[in-house]
Amino acid sequence: MFDMSVIFDAGVVGLRILMPLYAIVIVYQCYAAMRRRRRPEKPLVSLYNPNSGGMIPVVFWENSIGRSKSSDIMINDPTVSKNHCVLLRRSAGWFVSDVGSTAGTYVNGTRVRGRTKVLIDDMIRVGKTEYQLKRGDDFNSPLRGDRFFSKVSDKPAIQAWKLMLMITLFHLFMAVEAMFWNDGTNVYAPLVLFGALAVVEWGFFSVSYFALRRLNFELEALGLFLTGIGVLLLVRQVERSAYVQLIAAVLGIALYCVIIKFIEDPDRSDKIRFPVMIVAVLMLLSSIVLGRVTNGAANWVYIGSISFQPSELVKTIFIFIGASALDKLQTKRNLIEFIIFSVVCVGLLALMSDFGAALIFFVTFLLVVFMRSGDIKTVLLPVGSVIGAFVLFRFLAERINFIGDRFNYVFNRFKAYRHVWEYANEAAGYQQVRVLTYIASGGLFGVGLGNGYFKQYFASESDLVFALLAEEMGVIVAIVAALAVALLMIYARAIATRSRSTFYSISSCCAAGLLVVQLSLNIFGATDILPLTGVTFPFISSGGSSLISCWGLLAFIKAADERTYSMKR
Amino acid sequence: MKRTLRRSTLILIFTLAFIGGIGFFTAELIFGAKDWVDQPYNAHISGSGGLEQAGKILDRNGNVLAQTVNGERVYNSDPSVRQALLHTVGDNSLNISTAVQSKYRSLLTGYSLIWGLNMPQSMRSSHDITLTVDASACKAAYDVLSGMGKRGACVVYNYKTGEVICSVSTYGYDPQAPPEINESNEAQYDGVYLDNVVSSTYTPGSIFKIVTAAAAIENIPDLFERTWYCTGGEEIGGHPITCVETHYEINFEQAMEQSCNYVFASLAVELGSEKMNATAEKMGINMSFHFDDISTPKGHYNTTNATENDLAWSGSGQYDDKVNPMQMAIICGAIGNGGKGTCPTYIKSGSGDILKEIGVKSSQSYDLVNPATAATLDGVMPKYEFGGMSVHAKTGTAEVGDEKQPNGWFVGYSVNEDAPLAFACVVEDSGFGNQYARPVAEAAMAASAQAIRGY
Repeated sequence: MFDMSVIFDAGVVGLRILMPLYAIVIVYQCYAAMRRRRRPEKPLVSLYNPNSGGMIPVVFWENSIGRSKSSDIMINDPTVSKNHCVLLRRSAGWFVSDVGSTAGTYVNGTRVRGRTKVLIDDMIRVGKTEYQLKRGDDFNSPLRGDRFFSKVSDKPAIQAWKLMLMITLFHLFMAVEAMFWNDGTNVYAPLVLFGALAVVEWGFFSVSYFALRRLNFELEALGLFLTGIGVLLLVRQVERSAYVQLIAAVLGIALYCVIIKFIEDPDRSDKIRFPVMIVAVLMLLSSIVLGRVTNGAANWVYIGSISFQPSELVKTIFIFIGASALDKLQTKRNLIEFIIFSVVCVGLLALMSDFGAALIFFVTFLLVVFMRSGDIKTVLLPVGSVIGAFVLFRFLAERINFIGDRFNYVFNRFKAYRHVWEYANEAAGYQQVRVLTYIASGGLFGVGLGNGYFKQYFASESDLVFALLAEEMGVIVAIVAALAVALLMIYARAIATRSRSTFYSISSCCAAGLLVVQLSLNIFGATDILPLTGVTFPFISSGGSSLISCWGLLAFIKAADERTYSMKR
Repeated sequence: MKRTLRRSTLILIFTLAFIGGIGFFTAELIFGAKDWVDQPYNAHISGSGGLEQAGKILDRNGNVLAQTVNGERVYNSDPSVRQALLHTVGDNSLNISTAVQSKYRSLLTGYSLIWGLNMPQSMRSSHDITLTVDASACKAAYDVLSGMGKRGACVVYNYKTGEVICSVSTYGYDPQAPPEINESNEAQYDGVYLDNVVSSTYTPGSIFKIVTAAAAIENIPDLFERTWYCTGGEEIGGHPITCVETHYEINFEQAMEQSCNYVFASLAVELGSEKMNATAEKMGINMSFHFDDISTPKGHYNTTNATENDLAWSGSGQYDDKVNPMQMAIICGAIGNGGKGTCPTYIKSGSGDILKEIGVKSSQSYDLVNPATAATLDGVMPKYEFGGMSVHAKTGTAEVGDEKQPNGWFVGYSVNEDAPLAFACVVEDSGFGNQYARPVAEAAMAASAQAIRGY
């Protein structure tokens, strides 16, 4: 007699094999779509040199002009300073701004003080070299395109609604799996949750498409794809958290839209830096004053029944403060302000014993400083001092017993690092070995959503969510989700020179960098490849504040794409 | 803008490092997953988890030691066989960590890297494992050992091929009905989850004289011309060295035969700490032996900080000397095998070790004794006849203090070509090795010889 259960099992297995392949297709489509629909590779304006008759294409929104080889427009003239001036485009037109040159910059013979508007056919004199501003069309030779955008086309790789449909279908499959694996109670709970999720997804899509009339939705689609996975992972663990997570997603999306609107004008961002810094410091102070100690770190603030982590939200502000427009970059005051702000932030986080967040802030600080100054020394000095401080602390901790539990926890991690199996039943290795065991138990395709055992462990939905995802959905889905986040960096880099200001390119690269650092700490800390844990997996880990801040960071990447503001449907 | 792009390379490096890290993790997963899965806390396989579809475990003759019938794990029908093989086969729990059902749980349940532990039941391919042990030899040894009512261990293995024929450990219980261990019965099950053959160390007593003898043979040229005078109690280093009986004038061969503590104490002191340690090290006393994913505990011999009297006693396996039964069987096998200690194995086929299955990986061996020394040592080992074999063996009675009776030991090997068997047997808290360990070992050896000879 033929066993009918074989057919049923084959179906389950088939679905399970399909899911990872499907996840790969979705992530590929998101990135493929990002490469399309951009303006053709043409200069915005060009600079005509009446003496030599040469024509220089101006391709960026902000262009540094100087003698230095790394200038966007290099002028081989000894009277020109290394960093002479900046030619930038704003919605009001083209401006030139002197950045402390020796010989000065002149427009139509008048020396430039601050930003000065230049019109087509105006003469700009830099040192002894003179240029006339011409239209971009006047430059005829072809420009070299870059690799990521090699397939420039007006046609999108995939219609945004089709991409959204694919993602919704993926989430539906997850919900169906979660319905299948349960103990008979709340069979339809996953389906209800899926319905709510779909409303959020398509609601956002409609707002973006009809109200904001945006052409592109790939970045949002990627964020929704990951957020949805995170929400659905919770349905068979703590159903209530799934809804909290979904509400956080809505708030995060709202923050996303607000930030994009808020930073529409890069020059306004510069003016409100100071008040925003004060807000950030006050938020961190509030967690010290109002904060309750949870799991060793005093980073939670409770207002009634609502709790949140200000440190997560300050991340977004941190990126905002760090970036600026190209002509402002050259002045040192900006950087010193940022360094003081960073020291205060990291110091407050250390006071809260939130070492995971402090580390992320510190690494982001380094990224921002490097992105701004390009000076490796400014980066190495803080790294050296922090490592020194850590070694000193460790030295002291071994001799004097004044260090708190939280410190011991951190040092324990170092003790067990790469030896976790020897500490399988001690605090130092307990989590990591279970992470590895359950990842391996899930195989490539997972045991099915809701069918795993790892969800019973503490922090399985937050710091250790990589293992939860790998056990239930398979290691392929887990890695694809991780790569989906990591590849944001490639995208951020590809749009870096096409941004409307260095404010956007710096903030988007740093936001992507922050997400990658956080992702690395989350995955490698849990799997004993790095000795640290205590941070969340971007977009997927349960945790409202974390999810909201991820959407906030994503906004910077979206804003860096010039199409966000310039192209409407 | 170009500068910004160039500087963002730093962040790109972070991303590439992350991708590299994922690659590294994937490699670790591929190579480690099998071991990561077999953990006692893994809820996918603990309890009787996973055994509902697990493959059979067979002995060397194809007798079923454990199998799954209608989703239930059923062990051998003979209660005595079940108990005898408890520590080798294991039970439904993962408590006995060196047992096959613990070590190879994921393999038995059809674990694969691709499917993890969740291949649907109807499509799962279970996996059988055939062991090298002989059920009746284990039963014979277990019946005698458990009859003593003491904790102990007995192992017999083929020192040419490495196949373990008999391996038993007490205390035990019936895997078909595992006991609920609580305060009232914990004494009865003290250490029951340890396979004493591969996981415990004991004070060796006189069986350690084999090592002292090897050191003397290699370092004292006129050893065989010498005589000693044993009065039954001599002082060395200001404290007494006692013998069980007075041996009067005695030469080296007689000292080995009659296990004269005084002679071996004198030899240890004459050889000195350095040479004794060197020989103990060479013979693998301080070494862990690895086979079938098991690592034996290291024995212990170190007299660097010992007083003269301690050094003297260490030559007779007292002081803080420690050995493991499997380790002693390997060392005895090495003497019978011209100096080469063959690595043992419990798995005949189905271990999932592809290299071994296709015969590429031959059993590993250790050079534990110089061939010349092994030959001389073989000549002076006390001779016995039992089970239709000529057996060269040494008894031991190790004082352990704490108002406990001594550990009785019997270790050795047969010299018959058709039954190259080495053995080690220990009975804790018992008495003379000759009285307690020897009957167990004789039963085990006789049944094991029968198992490999077929008569």
